[in-house]
Amino acid sequence: MHIQTILGAAILAALAGTSFAQTPAPPAAPAAPAAPPSWKQGMASEYEKSALHPFAPHLTGRPASELPVSKLTVPDGFKIEVWVDGVPEARSLALGDKGTVFVSNRNLSNVYAIVDNGGKREVKTILKGMKSPNGIVFDKGTLYVAERNRITRFDDVESKLDNPGEGKVVIDNLDPTNQTGHFWKYLRMGPDGKLYFNIGSPQNITMPTYNEASILRVDPKTGYLENVAQGVRNSVGMDFHPVSKQLWFTDHARDWLGTDLPNDELNVLKTKGQHFGFPYCHQGDLPDPVYGVNRSCDQFTPPALKLGAHIAPLGLKFYTGNMFPKEYKNSMLIAQHGSWNRDPKQGYNLIRVTVDARGKVTKHPFVEGFLENDKADPPMWGRPVDVLQMKDGSILFSDDYNGIIYRVSYSKKSA
Amino acid sequence: MNSSPLARSLNARRGSKKAALKMAAVFVLAALTPTVYAGLEEGRVKSQVCAACHGADGNSVIPTIPSLAGQPRQFINQALFMFREGQRKNEQMTPFAANLSNADLNDLAQYFSAQKMTPPTRQPEGNIVVRGQAVTEKNNCVACHTPRLVGQQHIPRLAGQHKPYLLVQLKAFKAATRADLDGTMTSAAQGLAIDELDMVAEYLSTFVPP
Repeated sequence: MHIQTILGAAILAALAGTSFAQTPAPPAAPAAPAAPPSWKQGMASEYEKSALHPFAPHLTGRPASELPVSKLTVPDGFKIEVWVDGVPEARSLALGDKGTVFVSNRNLSNVYAIVDNGGKREVKTILKGMKSPNGIVFDKGTLYVAERNRITRFDDVESKLDNPGEGKVVIDNLDPTNQTGHFWKYLRMGPDGKLYFNIGSPQNITMPTYNEASILRVDPKTGYLENVAQGVRNSVGMDFHPVSKQLWFTDHARDWLGTDLPNDELNVLKTKGQHFGFPYCHQGDLPDPVYGVNRSCDQFTPPALKLGAHIAPLGLKFYTGNMFPKEYKNSMLIAQHGSWNRDPKQGYNLIRVTVDARGKVTKHPFVEGFLENDKADPPMWGRPVDVLQMKDGSILFSDDYNGIIYRVSYSKKSA
Repeated sequence: MNSSPLARSLNARRGSKKAALKMAAVFVLAALTPTVYAGLEEGRVKSQVCAACHGADGNSVIPTIPSLAGQPRQFINQALFMFREGQRKNEQMTPFAANLSNADLNDLAQYFSAQKMTPPTRQPEGNIVVRGQAVTEKNNCVACHTPRLVGQQHIPRLAGQHKPYLLVQLKAFKAATRADLDGTMTSAAQGLAIDELDMVAEYLSTFVPP
């Protein structure tokens, strides 16, 4: 339109000769405002000068001896201890049949195996040079590793930890753009023998493409890929209910809408293809100020539980062991990495979530003590990531900020 | 599995009240004595190999080579880690970093972060201060790099850093070829126009924290 107007004026000027020459040129069309950089997307105006910033792990890890680990608290009868330190950016955990604990990285490129070497725990780097290999799962002798771009399998891995080989590709080309975004993956083996994983949203709040902001599954036998849940911004923790076999998963909500909004979510997938709202509706009842204008939250599946704003729920595991008190059986343990996009800070803990016979979902504290001062920068000295149940019924959880894995056990005697 | 030595020492500490009190006493003492960080002396010794390029006290006199003095400890550690692991690559740095242990990284980070940065001697040209301030405010560089631009945690100090070094990094972030945690700087650099990069580098390199 503007171009036409200007052109029209120019033609008129040319036709009219000198009489128009003295007339000032019509004002140029205003330049279209440049799109904001991705870190600024969806940022409410009051945050333009915000000093909130993300935290990063200490990549070499920090020795537990230098940290206030004695400040960690657990419910009565439980004991928490450092299981191993020196596992740089310890993220997802998986347990091998022979007792090997596998540990992944997100910012780095390794997968580690922690083995018992004559009564001492040894951290071995078994895979190197991978692209953000955040997702790992062990099933029937095979270690599956989900990088940003692909999933590979390492068969019979525990008998060849020193040389697991190149691995066989299960599926590739999951990251065609290679751009920054929530594209590291969590990986779980489903009761149906298929591998479940997430592809997150490309940025804080933009329209995802058809396979982004979703949970997918792939059959490792055939490579057949299906999209099972949509509208999931960034799920980095999922597990199947031991009885109902339904998929429960955590999800990180968008940033820059405020200190108390929106809540991060705990969701349950009841039917393949359910849509959990992103980017249109957050926390089941909060329409997005941009993408939600012409939608209603009724169109989407609400969360089973609102966990708290920016609290960053990560690993989720159903407890099925016999060591912990019986009310723990089949309840969820969730690692909360902790907030950065709010002030004061919250999270940096483990919670337990129960579902009663009438379906009421309730959260209970489990491990606390990483958050020292919710107004400080940084406010915490550790950040829980993933939970793993051991054969004896104790649990391990990882802390990527320090590269430490902790063990939580229970004994009636100490209760 | 047996407990690791760390777990054992932790349990031992928990097990005895006496030990706990002793620990408390140690912490009080530590709080009262001037801080002498573990690794500072080790770091000084290990830093001798870095001195040829980065300067004996981490103040580089070679414009293409960054000063390390006064950089946040976690940032130095992280940068060395990324060089060692091959995520950041540089003809000169990569071979040096290749053989460093985690302890080396921690000690070097401890040493260089404790050194004082020599303030820049060059004065900014023309209206650089006004333009630079406007750009850093518009892009909210100060959210992460702090209002004094001295960095914090894993985020580097920019104030007084050499201009050619800054320019190379900014161009690499803009081109999305520089290793980055979660793409924060890659995204942020997209908000800068190519012809702004030189001006921003000039502003930062001559910036003296108030």
